[in-house]
Amino acid sequence: MFSLTVLYDPECGLCRRAHEWLAEQAKIVDLHFVPCASDEARRRYPQLNHDLTKKDLTLVSDDGGVYFGPKAWLMVLWSLVRYREWAYRLATPELLPTTKRVVSMISQNRYQISRVPVVNRLTR
Amino acid sequence: MTIGITTYLIYLAVSIALTIWVARTLHKNGRVFLVDVFHGNEALADSVNHLLVVGFYLINFGYVTLALKLGYVVTTAEQSIEALSVKVGMVLLVLGGMHFFNLFIFSRMRRRSVQHTQPPPVAPDAFTAVHQEA
Repeated sequence: MFSLTVLYDPECGLCRRAHEWLAEQAKIVDLHFVPCASDEARRRYPQLNHDLTKKDLTLVSDDGGVYFGPKAWLMVLWSLVRYREWAYRLATPELLPTTKRVVSMISQNRYQISRVPVVNRLTR
Repeated sequence: MTIGITTYLIYLAVSIALTIWVARTLHKNGRVFLVDVFHGNEALADSVNHLLVVGFYLINFGYVTLALKLGYVVTTAEQSIEALSVKVGMVLLVLGGMHFFNLFIFSRMRRRSVQHTQPPPVAPDAFTAVHQEA
């Protein structure tokens, strides 16, 4: 695996901020960012259910593997030099349920979190 | 030569000999580890190994030099042996600490290098066709 494509929600402030942060991190595997359900995304992945990608973060590897929601987050961590260890840690059977719960909670409330003044200031 | 000066000389001789022994052990046995960390690049492994040993010598000789002063006058052989036990014991503990610190650095380097080739932590949920770029 040489690159991962992240289908992110361009309308969410938190996602934009995360995008900026990721751009600065040293990577083991390259990350490409494509707005979800955009023409570019549809062109790259003609068979993907693009309505689903609007609901939660989706990640597609260069060999066509689709990672959805918490798995996509773990894969993003896995691509970073400093956080690969954490990806394995959070994916252990003991921690995975908690990881999934926390990630789903953040994902579902991403617009509200983006409106929190501190996050808002960071994303402007 | 007073007994005090003899004590200092014995202390220096023992400490220097111990430091050299530990550094050589580290140098000899750490090499295999480093070659693995640097994916068989022996020149780089040797270079890093050498630099680590230089740092090891500097810190240990620095400690040995700073800890030389006894602060009291040694008059009998018994006092001399007691003073040596404290001084050499401290040097041994510092050497042991440094040695484990080095091992920790080696294992961390190795873990990091191994990690770069490890598979993803989770399996994909599905597979999709990827439009090939022209």
